[in-house]
Amino acid sequence: MKSNLRPVESRLSRLMFAYFFLATLSIYVVKPAKESLFMDALGKPRLPYAFLLTAILMGLAVAANSRLVQRVHRPVYVSSTLGFFILTSLIFWVLIRGPAPWPWVFLIFWSWADILLVTTITQFWIMVNDLFSPREAKRRIGFLVSGGILGGISGSLIAYFRPAGLETESLILVCPAILFVCALIVFLAWRNAPREAGEDAEGKPGRRKEEKAGLIQSFALLRDNRYMLYLSGMMVVAIIISNLVDFQFKTLGKAFFPDKNATTSFFACFNLGLLVFSYLLAAFMTTRILKNFGMRIALLIPPVFLLVGSVAVYFIPAGALLIWVIYMRGADKSLAHSLSQSVRELLYIPLPQNIKYRAKVFVDMFLNKFADGLTGLLLIAVSPFLELSPKEVSLIAIVLIIIWMALNIRVTSEYVNIVKGNLQIKWQDADRLVTEKIDVDMTKLVFDTLQSRERSSVLYAMNLFDLIKKEKMSPELKRLIAYKGNELKARSMDSLLDVEGEALLPEIDDSLEPDTMDAQVREIMSLDVYQELMKKQIEKVARGEGKEDEVARMEAAKVMGMMAPESPLIRELTKLLKDESAEVARYAAESAGRLRRREFVPLLINLLSRSATQEAAKQALVAYGDRIAGTLHDSLADPLENLATRKAIPDILARMQAQRAADMLVLELKKDDPAIEAELIDASRWMRSNSPELVFQERIVLTKVVSLIKKCYLLLLQIQELRADRKKEILVKDVENTLSRAMKHVFELLGLILPQEDVIRAYQNILAGTRKSLDYSVELLDNILRKDIRELLLPLIEDTPFEEKVRLSRKMINAAEKIDFT
Amino acid sequence: MINIQPRFKNDVVIFDIEGEIKRSDITDVTLHQLVKEQLDSGRRKILLNFDRVEFIDSFGVGEILASYISTHNLGGKLKLVRISKKLYLIFQVTMLTKVLDIFEDEEAAMKSFF
Repeated sequence: MKSNLRPVESRLSRLMFAYFFLATLSIYVVKPAKESLFMDALGKPRLPYAFLLTAILMGLAVAANSRLVQRVHRPVYVSSTLGFFILTSLIFWVLIRGPAPWPWVFLIFWSWADILLVTTITQFWIMVNDLFSPREAKRRIGFLVSGGILGGISGSLIAYFRPAGLETESLILVCPAILFVCALIVFLAWRNAPREAGEDAEGKPGRRKEEKAGLIQSFALLRDNRYMLYLSGMMVVAIIISNLVDFQFKTLGKAFFPDKNATTSFFACFNLGLLVFSYLLAAFMTTRILKNFGMRIALLIPPVFLLVGSVAVYFIPAGALLIWVIYMRGADKSLAHSLSQSVRELLYIPLPQNIKYRAKVFVDMFLNKFADGLTGLLLIAVSPFLELSPKEVSLIAIVLIIIWMALNIRVTSEYVNIVKGNLQIKWQDADRLVTEKIDVDMTKLVFDTLQSRERSSVLYAMNLFDLIKKEKMSPELKRLIAYKGNELKARSMDSLLDVEGEALLPEIDDSLEPDTMDAQVREIMSLDVYQELMKKQIEKVARGEGKEDEVARMEAAKVMGMMAPESPLIRELTKLLKDESAEVARYAAESAGRLRRREFVPLLINLLSRSATQEAAKQALVAYGDRIAGTLHDSLADPLENLATRKAIPDILARMQAQRAADMLVLELKKDDPAIEAELIDASRWMRSNSPELVFQERIVLTKVVSLIKKCYLLLLQIQELRADRKKEILVKDVENTLSRAMKHVFELLGLILPQEDVIRAYQNILAGTRKSLDYSVELLDNILRKDIRELLLPLIEDTPFEEKVRLSRKMINAAEKIDFT
Repeated sequence: MINIQPRFKNDVVIFDIEGEIKRSDITDVTLHQLVKEQLDSGRRKILLNFDRVEFIDSFGVGEILASYISTHNLGGKLKLVRISKKLYLIFQVTMLTKVLDIFEDEEAAMKSFF
């Protein structure tokens, strides 16, 4: 366990363990004293009064607590409350130990003891919320709970043996002494608590004067917060079920052990066994269950146990009933003390501070009693119709357990949503942003149009025609082209079309319907006479070389793109795709993308190696669609192919946004080729973000994830080695950068098989680097990653010292090597 | 309805075309046939004047191109004058401006024959 703790947290954990141990010790000493003194003085008939008074006083205590918790600085608030109980316990001791105490003082003492129990336990968890993040709390919750259970066992033993022949009344004195030590621990723990920059104001809710607190406000808060509503519902149902099980247990206990002393012995024996079992469960199982199965499963374990027991009680003959009821009561209480308690406390943690404290006080201190009352009402309500035998009560319990399980599932899904809500996206996906905000094709076309006006009126007209066809001639664009047109007068345009001082553009805008014009151009180009006339012209141009014919070749390349794909003239495009002029090749690539003839594909792939033609070639190849994915994959997989070409292909496959293309990317990823690994991962990530419906083979992706995590651990070891050698220290930065890239790739790959937005959020919050953001990220990953990956990845990103990570590296590398997804 | 009237200036046959040249209004005698008649009579310099042409569809363009090829094949010259801005743009887009000789006014076109 030590290996998981930061030093500061370890110290804090020990302090909080001690606090919880002592608080529960005092409670378990006072509890039997309270019951025996009350029964001795007032007897069983007065017991309902005790319940009633406790409920009323508990309501008042909730109201007071709810206000104080918001207004008073936390350690002062907790210590003051403890001070109140120290003082009042001394007063009770004085009042009770007299020769003839006023009997009703035992009634008040009963309620006081109940409030002490609820208040100290609630305050302990409030402090856990204050001092630990969700992730930290999850790591040591089992440890803390075991402190409480050990305290309970110790308290019970003290009450049972009454050392030095102490009278029951004198047991009350244990309380002030222990609570005083608790108050000291509170201050120590607070002083040891780590602080995050900017957290102070949030961390001291007592300073938030504008907050209104109280029972009504707390109830309103509960009503308005869907998560809290589910959480409260879940708790109320769980307590009712627990009470029903208790009812069955006590009924059967009394039936099987009619003698008063025998009944007491039976209950005492059961309680001791229960505490020991609960302790063992908390110490050895709670953290393990939470770590291995997560919160969702952990929450379902108690209802499943009780469902099995309830069904058994309903169907099994009377002889075995006691065994099943002991099993149920034991399972219910032990799990409630350990697992359920731990998980419930975790469920509060992601809530905002202002909601968390008020709601927690309300739920813990009022709702419990409310649920107790509801159980009583339920039993009273059904008693005219049922005998309330254990079997009949089991039937009610079965119905409620099913509701409980449904609420548990609902609560855990809401929990994940809240954790996600706490993770902020710091930057948006740049690619997506560009795609959404800017039409890249359009921008390129506008630039081409403007540029071509300087070179050739024909090229200008062709590009302008493309713009018109796209029907994207916004007023801004028209102004831009008209303005540029005044600057860069095209030669023939000037003489022919601008004679009356009119720009070409308004004429086009007013008189030409893009669809009509497009149809007309197509019809003309399909004419035999046109083909015959242009044949010689294009052949002549395509043969031409050198700078002087460059514009003509660009025009020819462009015009061929407008022809029908079956036109024999288009054969000439192959020459232009090999043109030494990047501009000509670019226009030719664009036309090839429009015509989509097979013979152009190898030539387009060749153009990927030239930076000036790469983008045009990419766009052209994308236009072919996934029918050429196999051809592209051949080049991608060929180690002898030009590296620039290979690096460009993943992006093309990604832009195809087809399942076949995704399969090709993943297939290549499997080969572990470091030369193109970054491009493959980046393209896959882009593809997934734009087409979430695409499926990436999980087995291959996970294998790659494990291999990258292993690489990260190896890099950690390398960094340690380099740091040790002063001469090589300069290389550390490079290795750290490699490590960062590998980590980024791990998350990008995880985003292919998990909800991508969640993974991005988690990664970005890790990058943010604050303790809180890191903890929330880890918490989210803990909920969405599969167990083997979680165990491998989380130690790498958790906020543990570098040395600790290095220490774990070899173990993790070995673990990674053993993972096999086949 | 199309109306094509030839006139002769120096050695050049000028066809003054009026109306719309489109597939739906095909007449008994097409532009191409009229040009061929002049070619058959030995004339090799032809100027098509579109000053009063309101509309030309692809059929009309085909007639122009067929006339050009026929003239060119016989070693003659066919030129165009006063075409609309729209048609000029279409000719540019189809790269026909690279093949055809197009003029803004008749005088300039006439000079270009000599």
